[in-house]
Amino acid sequence: MDLILNRMDYLQVGVTSQKTMKLIPASRHRATQKVVIGDHDGVVMCFGMKKGEAAAVFKTLPGPKIARLELGGVINTPQEKIFIAAASEIRGFTKRGKQFLSFETNLTESIKAMHISGSDLFLSASYIYNHYCDCKDQHYYLSGDKINDVICLPVERLSRITPVLACQDRVLRVLQGSDVMYAVEVPGPPTVLALHNGNGGDSGEDLLFGTSDGKLALIQITTSKPVRKWEIQNEKKRGGILCIDSFDIVGDGVKDLLVGRDDGMVEVYSFDNANEPVLRFDQMLSESVTSIQGGCVGKDSYDEIVVSTYSGWVTGLTTEPIHKESGPGEELKINQEMQNKISSLRNELEHLQYKVLQERENYQQSSQSSKAKSAVPSFGINDKFTLNKDDASYSLILEVQTAIDNVLIQSDVPIDLLDVDKNSAVVSFSSCDSESNDNFLLATYRCQADTTRLELKIRSIEGQYGTLQAYVTPRIQPKTCQVRQYHIKPLSLHQRTHFIDHDRPMNTLTLTGQFSFAEVHSWVVFCLPEVPEKPPAGECVTFYFQNTFLDTQLESTYRKGEGVFKSDNISTISILKDVLSKEATKRKINLNISYEINEVSVKHTLKLIHPKLEYQLLLAKKVQLIDALKELQIHEGNTNFLIPEYHCILEEADHLQEEYKKQPAHLERLYGMITDLFIDKFKFKGTNVKTKVPLLLEILDSYDQNALISFFDAA
Amino acid sequence: MLLPVFTLKLRHKISPRMVAIGRYDGTHPCLAAATQTGKVFIHNPHTRNQHVSASRVFQSPLESDVSLLSINQAVSCLTAGVLNPELGYDALLVGTQTNLLAYDVYNNSDLFYREVADGANAIVLGTLGDISSPLAIIGGNCALQGFNHEGSDLFWTVTGDNVNSLALCDFDGDGKKELLVGSEDFDIRVFKEDEIVAEMTETEIVTSLCPMYGSRFGYALSNGTVGVYDKTSRYWRIKSKNHAMSIHAFDLNSDGVNELITGWSNGKVDARSDRTGEVIFKDNFSSAIAGVVEGDYRMDGHIQLICCSVDGEIRGYLPGTAEMRGNLMDTSAEQDLIRELSQKKQNLLLELRNYEENAKAELASPLNEADGHRGIIPANTRLHTTLSVSLGNETQTAHTELRISTSNDTIIRAVLIFAEGIFTGESHVVHPSIHNLSSSICIPIVPPKDVPVDLHLKAFVGYRSSTQFHVFESTRQLPRFSMYALTSLDPASEPISYVNFTIAERAQRVVVWLGQNFLLPEDTHIQNAPFQVCFTSLRNGGHLHIKIKLSGEITINTDDIDLAGDIIQSMASFFAIEDLQVEADFPVYFEELRKVLVKVDEYHSVHQKLSADMADHSNLIRSLLVGAEDARLMRDMKTMKSRYMELYDLNRDLLNGYKIRCNNHTELLGNLKAVNQAIQRAGRLRVGKPKNQVITACRDAIRSNNINTLFKIMRVGTASS
Repeated sequence: MDLILNRMDYLQVGVTSQKTMKLIPASRHRATQKVVIGDHDGVVMCFGMKKGEAAAVFKTLPGPKIARLELGGVINTPQEKIFIAAASEIRGFTKRGKQFLSFETNLTESIKAMHISGSDLFLSASYIYNHYCDCKDQHYYLSGDKINDVICLPVERLSRITPVLACQDRVLRVLQGSDVMYAVEVPGPPTVLALHNGNGGDSGEDLLFGTSDGKLALIQITTSKPVRKWEIQNEKKRGGILCIDSFDIVGDGVKDLLVGRDDGMVEVYSFDNANEPVLRFDQMLSESVTSIQGGCVGKDSYDEIVVSTYSGWVTGLTTEPIHKESGPGEELKINQEMQNKISSLRNELEHLQYKVLQERENYQQSSQSSKAKSAVPSFGINDKFTLNKDDASYSLILEVQTAIDNVLIQSDVPIDLLDVDKNSAVVSFSSCDSESNDNFLLATYRCQADTTRLELKIRSIEGQYGTLQAYVTPRIQPKTCQVRQYHIKPLSLHQRTHFIDHDRPMNTLTLTGQFSFAEVHSWVVFCLPEVPEKPPAGECVTFYFQNTFLDTQLESTYRKGEGVFKSDNISTISILKDVLSKEATKRKINLNISYEINEVSVKHTLKLIHPKLEYQLLLAKKVQLIDALKELQIHEGNTNFLIPEYHCILEEADHLQEEYKKQPAHLERLYGMITDLFIDKFKFKGTNVKTKVPLLLEILDSYDQNALISFFDAA
Repeated sequence: MLLPVFTLKLRHKISPRMVAIGRYDGTHPCLAAATQTGKVFIHNPHTRNQHVSASRVFQSPLESDVSLLSINQAVSCLTAGVLNPELGYDALLVGTQTNLLAYDVYNNSDLFYREVADGANAIVLGTLGDISSPLAIIGGNCALQGFNHEGSDLFWTVTGDNVNSLALCDFDGDGKKELLVGSEDFDIRVFKEDEIVAEMTETEIVTSLCPMYGSRFGYALSNGTVGVYDKTSRYWRIKSKNHAMSIHAFDLNSDGVNELITGWSNGKVDARSDRTGEVIFKDNFSSAIAGVVEGDYRMDGHIQLICCSVDGEIRGYLPGTAEMRGNLMDTSAEQDLIRELSQKKQNLLLELRNYEENAKAELASPLNEADGHRGIIPANTRLHTTLSVSLGNETQTAHTELRISTSNDTIIRAVLIFAEGIFTGESHVVHPSIHNLSSSICIPIVPPKDVPVDLHLKAFVGYRSSTQFHVFESTRQLPRFSMYALTSLDPASEPISYVNFTIAERAQRVVVWLGQNFLLPEDTHIQNAPFQVCFTSLRNGGHLHIKIKLSGEITINTDDIDLAGDIIQSMASFFAIEDLQVEADFPVYFEELRKVLVKVDEYHSVHQKLSADMADHSNLIRSLLVGAEDARLMRDMKTMKSRYMELYDLNRDLLNGYKIRCNNHTELLGNLKAVNQAIQRAGRLRVGKPKNQVITACRDAIRSNNINTLFKIMRVGTASS
């Protein structure tokens, strides 16, 4: 059966954060439920749908930004008490809107995530986790990296308290009291946690999580070790996951998985006989889906998926068919409802417009005086700047609550801006005078009328570092723009990992000198992505990294007065050496840098590059042949006379072309890295081989692995 | 929602824009399209092909209902339609860079095959003005030519640059068709037979034109813009990052008015309302669209819209029925309306909140550091813009300078200029480094052409530490002749070339015209007539003198014939002059033209000689081949070998000859273009009737190869006396 869901927009509130909308349980099955949602203005709103119009049950006054909204209540009774986390305070409301709790946690940071179970309250700020019971402090944990979400396995089924933290460094930390029981490494930075089937599955220990690079997985958290059940890769390159819910929307008696992503994708997975998830439905909304829940809101006895989006839209994807077959009268009624809605909106608008006009006049008048000040409307930008592992490029996602007018991208490092198919914005590159004004890239994106979300793809070069700035101008009056900065780090293509291969030949760079632990940590933060800003606890720390493009690795271990960096790629060491000595000189710190070069490592790196290079060369060659072969095919009718290799190319033509298109300039990048490797190898020996680079390129043009290795040895 | 009524997948690639539907046998509509490497395929799903193996047509080995037509040259344009009304069926017309073929598919014979020296970039078939028989009009290298069914050219004229698109449309509503010509110099020109009745300057190369209904027509540019004109005024336009491959007018929602259907390079097809440009329908293909046509492809009496992609996918759409009430998209219009209204409400609320905050801020203390960070600036901040001419120095060449400054200590973080046609992209950005921030910015602008341009400025104003900036928006017009600086009078520098004409306007009005079209320094005072002003071009340092006598006689001295033409056209539109006869002399330019004409003759003779050589060679080849085969049959391997060796040498000679011919041909094309442009330029020096007279007379002079008359016409405007 195909799942057909129709979209119904209910209401718009202010900008919303992740997981801030819930449906209050109804008294009976499939009766209409009330929606409760909290936004960045601090307003909690509870409403139900009556005859197609939203009728508010209650609405609170504005306050600090609401970061989370959860439902709670005494265990084994309906969970219908509303809890919100705003700044460092937790407030509780009954379903009628009466405030019964106001709990100031005294956390120094504002709360980012919350989980409620009976009288247990689990909170996390950026790095701190706190467990309260009846508002009394119980346990505390300081995480090494940012905490994105917190959850606790169902207490009522397991009779133990097992909180799980989703941390930015690709780890799920399973706690017991104030200590980590064990840590689970996951394939991407986890952004959201949810209990499987809403109750932890059969075992009560099943936990779902989604990552910021769009992967989804199920894992069982037993008392001793994690058991991985399944994992869905993000092959279609969809956005990061922001919310998960379990609800039987298909109607087969098994709860399906509802997933909302930050590129506006809503997906439904159902489970096959082997309990593996299968994609059943997907629909694109135009903006980030911040919360998702299954239930019944628009009309009783019709199930639906209710989602809230970044700009505050509450939308239902309902099983209720749009076109009724009952007769013409019914349809008229639906239209009537719509018309009412539209006319009431129009009235409201007229009223507002009048008010705005008045205010505008006042503003104009006040602007005549010399003392008056003029502020600009502040608007939120939801941005994400992440490294994609697959093609070693960065993607920058900008999302604004209102439509974007234009975006100016400026960079003081040479980078390539790639086209993204999804965008409809018209891009225009401006000439830049790099010497006087530090501009290497100036580009404007002029957006089409209803664009609220813009995605850019950026290719950086390791060793070249600086800042990328985005000036975002939305379509609001008075016109204003906000600038956002993103650092392109010297080792921009590296990614944190938790395990490396210790058997590889390694080059070592050692720093010693009079520097503090915080200082050396700040240098590492400066050089490498995905390192927490805050110096980790302890005296000595080790981070592992992987080069996403070449798969070479880097190990960095440092403490007060000493730092050791080991990598199998000479270029990585060379970049580190240059950047660190520059940074230290800037701060007038005396550094002793010593290095130990392993000749074998160069050959090893070349061997790592070899299969990639060979594949790309072959691909390029095949793609070149496609047109000629197709021409032959048309002319001759059959292709039986062709050798099998060519047959193969013809058959796979589409696939090959797609593959080729996906990796533009891949070959050039590989060539660039081999050249860097060549130059760096001899730089450490104290010889300058720049004059031999043309010779190297010649060898690359007629590539042969052995010839290349012997060239590296001979030169 | 509208769904395709049929989908076909042909195994042939389709070249962009080269698609046409015709009833080549008078009843069955067939799709003809150019495919790879100089072939045209004809898809005929209705009649099982009787297998023909003639010289041109052969059956496609891939599909039974497709036949292939070998052109052996890259096809540059293709259309189908009624060329000879007596025949009762459609002809297929195929243009290449050197030839035009009119082909009778049904009888498998050529109607005519004409050599066209100017190439055929675009083709349109139909009746033009008062010419009774249908014409196949081709546009090439600055030239337009129209052929009737016998292949004789009944129409010939020149235009400003290479022609890229053609359409026939009743532009002035007189019931007769005018010819719309889009060319590489960004202009859309309207020809009433060979008289130009209107000219619209666009911002990029005009790639497609299509008539909508009445005087309305659609256009597409190479930068991704599509839009609709009604006569000379633009109704709407939109710009996309993709390119419009093909545009077509079709009434998809059955409301009696044609919509503009656009096929895009990313595989999207959309239908836009002709009035507003609003999308009423869209669909997606997996590859770029090659062409959009219409025809009754299912032979059921209903016309379908047929879209073809470059990969050979073909979809046909029937117009929406009346019950759909134009609702072709899958989301309901009401939902969208609610969204839109709600968005408006949010924006208004945001604005309102901002005013409230402003009111609060006013009560607080005077401006401080933190305010600057949040983007709070004094409310009386103003932005000043001035345009001036800068003569340049050692580091910078001469340019027009745009100076933007704020009225207080606020700084300008960046300036975005959106303007069309003067930058490489559509925008130019100035973003000073953090150390060079100040309250004023000078931006050099060098417009490549003398056209008036609107500069849409967006300046980000705030303080050094701000993360949020005010955006000041303003629009300045860059005058047409902004690249000319007023200089002091110097009779010695007066160029010898001139144009001379008389207008019935007061000198004061000419001063107003000067002020509007040149960037004059503010303190310039021009005394009453007679007076003389002198300008220097910032591009090449050339001089321009404009003299006005009391009688209203104006003399413009410049060596640049294009500039003289621009000035005359600009004056004519400013003073609303309908007809203007001009006396002109450009000795240097005319001398160059004379040389070009001599060269054209040379190239022509070389061309003929080479063609003769080729014919000789091909005879020789025939005999050698026969000789070699004879030797083979006689088993005289030695002779055979030597014959084949000779053949090989001859082949090499032929290849070399071909290269020479190619070079010769490109040179010839270049020179012919120069000649056509010269005629066009001579025309642009005049306005109205005299303009057309000059063009016609020049054309006749070239036909009769009378060079001296040609120059005389260019000088005085007529051949007689």
